[in-house]
Amino acid sequence: MTLPLLSLLIFQPLLAAALLWLLPARRARQMAASSMLVSLVLGVAALVAYDPAGVRFQLIESVAWIASLNVHYRVGVDGLSILFLPATALLFLGSLVACWTAVSDAPRFHYSLLLLLQAATFGIFCALDTVMFFVFWEATLLPLYFLLGRWGVTAGAAAVATRYFLIMLAGGIPLLLAFVMLAASQVVPTFDLTVLLAVPLSRGTQTAVFLLCLVAFGVKVPLVPLHTWLPQFALAAPGSLTALLVGLKLGAFGLIRFAVPLAPEAALDLHWLLAGLGTVAILYGAVGMLAQTNMRVSLAYASICHVGLAVLGLASYTAQGAQGAVSLLLSFSVATGGAFLLLEFLRQRTGSTDINALGGAAKTMPLLATGFLICGLAGVGMPGTSSFPGEFMLIIAALQSHTGAGMAALFGLSIAAAGFLALYRKAFFGPVDREEVAQASDLRPREWAVLVALIVMIICIGIYPGPWIEIVRPAAEAWAAGLNR
Amino acid sequence: MTGTAFGGFTEILWQRQATLPLLLLLQVLPLLGAALIFAFKERTAAVVLGKAFALGELLLAIVAVAHLDPTLPALQLAERFAPLAYHVAVDGLSMVFILSAALLTFLMTLYGMSRGMISPGRLFAVLLVAEAGLVGMLVTVNVAWFAAFSGLELWAVVYLLRRWASSRAEIQALARFVQYQGFGWLLFAAGCLVLGWGHAEMTGGRWSFDLFDLVGAIPVGKFQTAAFYLLFYGLAVRTPLFPLHGWLPNMAQHGLIAVAPALMVGVKVGIYGMLRFVLPLTPAAVETWQPYVVGFAMAGVFFTAALAFQQTNLRRLLAFAVVSHTSLLVIGLFSLHEAGIQGAVLLAANFGLAVTGMWFIVGFVFRRTGTTELHELSGLFERIPFLAVAFLAFGLAIVGMPGTPGFDAAHLILEASIDQFGALSTVATALGNVAAAGFLLWAFQRAFLSQAKAGGHDVDRTLPMEYVVGGIALAAMLAIGFFTEPWLFLTETASQAAAARFVR
Repeated sequence: MTLPLLSLLIFQPLLAAALLWLLPARRARQMAASSMLVSLVLGVAALVAYDPAGVRFQLIESVAWIASLNVHYRVGVDGLSILFLPATALLFLGSLVACWTAVSDAPRFHYSLLLLLQAATFGIFCALDTVMFFVFWEATLLPLYFLLGRWGVTAGAAAVATRYFLIMLAGGIPLLLAFVMLAASQVVPTFDLTVLLAVPLSRGTQTAVFLLCLVAFGVKVPLVPLHTWLPQFALAAPGSLTALLVGLKLGAFGLIRFAVPLAPEAALDLHWLLAGLGTVAILYGAVGMLAQTNMRVSLAYASICHVGLAVLGLASYTAQGAQGAVSLLLSFSVATGGAFLLLEFLRQRTGSTDINALGGAAKTMPLLATGFLICGLAGVGMPGTSSFPGEFMLIIAALQSHTGAGMAALFGLSIAAAGFLALYRKAFFGPVDREEVAQASDLRPREWAVLVALIVMIICIGIYPGPWIEIVRPAAEAWAAGLNR
Repeated sequence: MTGTAFGGFTEILWQRQATLPLLLLLQVLPLLGAALIFAFKERTAAVVLGKAFALGELLLAIVAVAHLDPTLPALQLAERFAPLAYHVAVDGLSMVFILSAALLTFLMTLYGMSRGMISPGRLFAVLLVAEAGLVGMLVTVNVAWFAAFSGLELWAVVYLLRRWASSRAEIQALARFVQYQGFGWLLFAAGCLVLGWGHAEMTGGRWSFDLFDLVGAIPVGKFQTAAFYLLFYGLAVRTPLFPLHGWLPNMAQHGLIAVAPALMVGVKVGIYGMLRFVLPLTPAAVETWQPYVVGFAMAGVFFTAALAFQQTNLRRLLAFAVVSHTSLLVIGLFSLHEAGIQGAVLLAANFGLAVTGMWFIVGFVFRRTGTTELHELSGLFERIPFLAVAFLAFGLAIVGMPGTPGFDAAHLILEASIDQFGALSTVATALGNVAAAGFLLWAFQRAFLSQAKAGGHDVDRTLPMEYVVGGIALAAMLAIGFFTEPWLFLTETASQAAAARFVR
């Protein structure tokens, strides 16, 4: 055992969040940035330490936490989660640097909340104990509540934050219930994910657990009809925050990690439900996107659409589906995250992201417009971008297992792509009507640097996806094998 | 170390576990403190003494816990003095309540100072009397002594409320309080009489109110039902339990801020009384009426949450939060399941701490703004961020957010509740808890997070003493939240013993 990399990942931001209060307020963001840089290094180190050909879960650390309830602090990663660690670190760092000057009031509070959110996100990806997972899962709510409620960009942001918090809290109940049921189904009650995965459950328990998890994670994904909070959130929150929320698909990860493998037979039985929800999300998201005039809301619908594809592909229960889903989610971290950051730049410059208030933005902000196009095209799965390999695998998997749904998905994705281009045309081309757009300056070097890093990743992974997909493949195969045993 | 058995209860005398009669000391120390402070009148030393005695009591409680062996099902550190029917003993469950009573009283003495009450000496003396009453209720195993201590504590609260009351609304709230509590106390006393009488009938005329005697002479049939309802309703008024909560909102809104409500609902003696006396002494009636009690409690969770949303006053809103969460405690207790009982006790301590913390903060806010009307408060977060965050953290503890002590306890209650009442009603109850989160967040959003209104007065920054009071409560909560293990250990065996009386 060398360094406890995963614990460092989780606790280092917490420590930084505490230390930050000892510094003067103006130093807070430097502290946060250095902590996030350390996180990135640790995330990459974990990726290097991880052996894709080795055993399923690696870098495991386990300490008894509440012994009489058999709850452990247990972290570890497999091929499905390892890539999310550097992606998370990168996205947080990117978001921080991109909005370096945006936070002027109560900076220490703001940055410690961001670090808290980062720690909880790492925890979610690393947790191998269901109680611990739940603790981290709920721990994301408080920072998000404050970040949105206090630093929201619309007047009603606090109300949206409250609503988001309550919806997520209600979504947590089925999850906790499922975990309690899982624990109670064992001879010795346990919350250890590896044990729970190995011991088969009765059919009835499986069905209950699967449905409970589906509701709980469905709220977070979000799946239609549990999605109503997301467009509101996207409208009320600064783009840098939405980038974190939408870029990291925790709900879909929960489905991959918990819902399906813990209740394999029920998942196989209810494949139609999962596939159906995915298809509805794709179509609804695509149509919803067309109806919007605000690009932040529109992108939120686009994200509902794309995560629907991941869910549909997942419902094939093949290694290809899981691999595609993870690849697509990772690509979104970069593409959607980048797109929301760019929208935040746009909002800071013109005061709006509504297409009616823009028009001709490409004339005054060519770099911003180019970046947004690349991120957007990656979002719609353009070949040559990072989303393409994942999207391709998902569509193949979907067409094989649910042909009709797969066709519908293709249709929905085409609508989404068309919707994006139409939106883009209205916002960035045409004559410049408004003063704010005419006065706007293009990207600053700092913003440009973040963007270039993201675009390089989008294109490099798009052209040469092999190594990344290979990291996911063994774990995805084990995942599929566990289902069809 | 074996105990002496008395009709199903066993006890270990204090001489075998400690060198001093710790429980006697626990009761006498605050009374002694009260007498001393009273003698000091308005001198400044009275204030220091008050704090010192409250701290001493807290330390003494910790010492008592250290002498307890939580792995034994017996009641421990027992003391008896036959001529007065004095009989005290504790187990892991009562120690949780005693610790929380001592901690809360200590915090109240700090709070009282920071508020600069007109007559701090008198306040501290009465506060310590109330503490003695609380601790007395928590250590005694004699129902009559319990009733007597309950009377002592109520007297202390009424005294404080009377000193405070000046306006008509305040006097009315006081009258309502006295009516409710007097009635509840009489019900409980009548229940004691039924039990004592039953004992006399069975043993040929020897009256006793001692738990150890009574448990061997449990009344049968109608008498047991009568005893159950008298005791249960008596405690339900005290707790307070929906629909007997009428006194609390008025008292919370118009009574002495923070200290009075904290004394009444900070330590859940009502829940403790049900656990210690009602469950063992009327077991058949408890099992018969369990569905009704739980049904009412589940309705109470929602009803009070719905009422809370209607409130325009922060103090009144908190009162409904209390009623809502006590319903949850009763559900845990009346699951008659060891996990449920353990969860209810831990949650009771947690709720007590959290809601007292919230009341303190409301008191701090009131001192700055002179109001707790929600529409008159705004933008407090900018001025007192620490208190705002603490308020929210306490609110989340009430909801059972992970990382607060409420989480593991709520988890236990959930487990017991699924086992006993099925998943659907459990989910419904949990949703009721989310509703509680809803109104607390809504209040937080309006009072703390909203934009400061134009023309609003400048609010003072957080004072050092406020940091101390809020910080201690917050630190205790987080520490227990992440290190639940010792608490589970302390209460495990005793919960099993309590649940063992009922067939699952």
